[in-house]
Amino acid sequence: MKTVQFRINSKAHELQVNDNELLIETLRERLGFLGTKESCQEGECGTCTVLIDGKNVLSCLILTASLNDKEVTTIEGLACGSDLHPLQKAFVEKGAIQCGFCTPGMILSSLALLKKKPSPSEKEIAAGLDGNLCRCTGYLKIFEAVKEAAIHMNKETKG
Amino acid sequence: MKNKTISPVGKSVPRIDAVEKAAGQATYVYDFKPQGTLVGKMLRSPHAHARILKIDTSQALVLAGVRAVVTALDAPKVKFGSNEYFFPYTVDQYPLEFEKVRYIGDEIAAVAAIDEETAQRALSLIKVEYEVLPAVFDPVEAMKPHSPQIHSSMNNIGVMLPVHFGNPDKALKESDYVREDVFYLPSAAHCALEPHVSVAQYETSTDKITLWTSTQAPFKVREALAKTLEMDSCDIRVLKLHVGGGFGGKLEMLPMDFAACLLSKKAQGAPVKIVCDRKEEFSYTRRKHPMIYKLKSGVKKDGTIMAITGEVIADGGAYCSYGPTVIAAAIMRIFMVYKIEHIRMMGFRVYTNNPVSGAIRGFGGVQSGFAVESHMDLLARGIGLDPLEFRLKNATDPDMVTVNKLIISSNGLKDCIRKAGQISDWSKKNGIKREVPKDIVRGIGMGVAADVMGSKMYKSHESAGTIIKVEEDGSVYCFTGAADTGQGSDTVMAQIAAQELGVAYERVRIRAADTETTPFDTGSFASRVTFISGNATKNAAGDAKRQILEVVAQEFKLGSENLDIKDEAVVNISTGSEVLSFDKAVELCYSFNYGRLIIGRGSYNPKTTPIDFRTGQGNISGSYGFEAQIAEVEVNKKTGQVKLVKMVDVHDIGYPINPASVHGQIEGSIIMGMGYTLFEDLKFTDGRVQNPSFSKYRIPRSVDAVPIESVFIETNDPQGPFGAKGMGEASLLPTAAAIANAIHDAVGIRIKDLPITREKILKAIKDKENNTKNEG
Repeated sequence: MKTVQFRINSKAHELQVNDNELLIETLRERLGFLGTKESCQEGECGTCTVLIDGKNVLSCLILTASLNDKEVTTIEGLACGSDLHPLQKAFVEKGAIQCGFCTPGMILSSLALLKKKPSPSEKEIAAGLDGNLCRCTGYLKIFEAVKEAAIHMNKETKG
Repeated sequence: MKNKTISPVGKSVPRIDAVEKAAGQATYVYDFKPQGTLVGKMLRSPHAHARILKIDTSQALVLAGVRAVVTALDAPKVKFGSNEYFFPYTVDQYPLEFEKVRYIGDEIAAVAAIDEETAQRALSLIKVEYEVLPAVFDPVEAMKPHSPQIHSSMNNIGVMLPVHFGNPDKALKESDYVREDVFYLPSAAHCALEPHVSVAQYETSTDKITLWTSTQAPFKVREALAKTLEMDSCDIRVLKLHVGGGFGGKLEMLPMDFAACLLSKKAQGAPVKIVCDRKEEFSYTRRKHPMIYKLKSGVKKDGTIMAITGEVIADGGAYCSYGPTVIAAAIMRIFMVYKIEHIRMMGFRVYTNNPVSGAIRGFGGVQSGFAVESHMDLLARGIGLDPLEFRLKNATDPDMVTVNKLIISSNGLKDCIRKAGQISDWSKKNGIKREVPKDIVRGIGMGVAADVMGSKMYKSHESAGTIIKVEEDGSVYCFTGAADTGQGSDTVMAQIAAQELGVAYERVRIRAADTETTPFDTGSFASRVTFISGNATKNAAGDAKRQILEVVAQEFKLGSENLDIKDEAVVNISTGSEVLSFDKAVELCYSFNYGRLIIGRGSYNPKTTPIDFRTGQGNISGSYGFEAQIAEVEVNKKTGQVKLVKMVDVHDIGYPINPASVHGQIEGSIIMGMGYTLFEDLKFTDGRVQNPSFSKYRIPRSVDAVPIESVFIETNDPQGPFGAKGMGEASLLPTAAAIANAIHDAVGIRIKDLPITREKILKAIKDKENNTKNEG
């Protein structure tokens, strides 16, 4: 057992965790952050993506015990009440959400991508989202949504 | 209401559930865990074929933390099947086996425990004694006389469906060109991201069950549970939450659903949750029917198809599932696209000791799409005819009855073909081997397909129902049986309801697919929901509107036939003026003098006819959709790599209720179809799946996405709601052939077995060069 202090969506948490406790379990089973989904439990689909210090990682492969002083961002950390993040808005408006199971992970990976590349080409978007599977959409509307969000987010930064 | 989208039909309104999904607040059964939920796990056979001699659960029962263990002894021993109504002999599976196991993974027992670890240990403590039997894994072998007998059917043939019209042998003799081809279609997996998951709660004091399950068809699941548990349907409630994809894999009761109910009963009513992990998803749920598709057809010099003959041998695996529907789809779809007078096809679905083959998007139409559209391409080439012209020559027309009595009304197929050809610059590219840069050759190929809108293979009727209540504050609740699994049916129902009722889209709230609170619906399959459930919803909205207008007419002393509701207001049709707002009209209904609750109801049963399964005759769908798909590829002659450069899809969708949703279905289907064509291949050895993970079974990723130009042809179907037809499956039917045909156009080689890998391309190029050398 280990005590770990870290932040989730800007709020401080202090937990006693087992050495082998995975972040996905901590989030879903212990803390009720059900927005982060799970599909393969072996780091091959990207569905469980969260951000750690802004970088997209697979929460099914991360041990919670290793997260001292880290900032975890889950999908629940993006919107402000009913004010959606530009990425969430763009996904909604562009029809980039069908069954929605890949969506939280896909949006977080998109956010990490836009932090690194604020105006990505379609090729760069495709490469940036390579770790997140989607079986429903065929990805094209997801690319459109990321492009749309990028424009909006760059305006906000400039303005 | 933040926004007010009036007249929403035809607009790409945001999906009704998109915001909560984007915010991570949509609840799936995967997320659902009531207080006290136990972990359920299935005990599965490690053998592909064995007799069960003894099951000893005694040690598992006494393990601390185990709350229930169930076997077939805990329930009436009743078999179930998914195509029971028209094919009673395909009812072949006990939910928990006690006599024989027939595939690796066959369910024998189940446990419910306080946690995962305990449940796992409990499984290992159940002792089963088997007498291992010889197994058979190849369908051709399985049909031979001395093969191991899997069920009681002779030669392990579970389903045999013939199609026979005209005099094909005579017509073949009269043909100018005859050719024979054999195509091989592999298995595939659905790969819905949310795995199969069920939570069951048995109320022991009243003998009632509630089952929350990730499903496309709650009423179907309820029916099977009622049968196998020997309970009344009304004592079983099956409902879905948000569903993370289905694609045909969640269309029936699985043993885990049955087991969860039984475990809950034995555990004094504690809820029991059973989840499939990804390996179980790949190995033990459902898979695509592998097929050997043989065709021998003849054409005249002018391109007229004279006769089509052939045989399909499908590997059905251990149980029947939706086998008959898959076979029917595999051999009967051809009538929808081509005018055929002479045809003889025989479809065999053979039992093997492989995992169960079932319904998967396209229901046999994907396999037949590849075989038939490749074969048609070869026939065209055989007589030196442009493959596009060949399709036009033989394509079906609007308002015709086919030789097997399909009633085709609206039909934009020829327009789709012409338009696809135009958009893709077909005439400039077809037959021109463009090699630029060196060793990379471009080619273009086409495929055509038809959609059904449901298929009369499930029950005597195929109806759907909707109830709409309009509350005093003007809010509109739409109760529909239709199951949204991500394809957007909730949204479409809301758009249709709003349009017909004359109100803004944002007013409508959807409550769907709950056997206890919504009307019946057979489920989300065969692309039926927009057409069938949509019509039911339109009828219900029309009924609600009539009730409101009756009150307004009475109050204002106008004829109700003179009134309509449009854009949130009751209007006088002749003058066009507003009589009063929708909100005021509803208030009026609920007011002192009237006290009229507004409850609209509607149902719809499409105009289909019973199918004669001895010949293939009968109108299987209320209407048909059509498409032409053109693929442009680049083939690298040195590496064998195929790059899909562009896909053009021109689709007769009747009318798009939500264009973005329709495009989304088309794009998703094409990418899925591309995956099946180029790299998806569920491999089996001795009945065991060899690649049960996303790293070994490759499905398309974002880097694999290709540009798709998706164009609609609007034929305004006379029966569809607002002219709409269904959309769900069709766009993956012609994809494999379009790609294979494009490869042929590029490098002159023909691949007849999927997936089309680099190795196959290189080998075919080499063989072609050797043949040319030998001939030269």
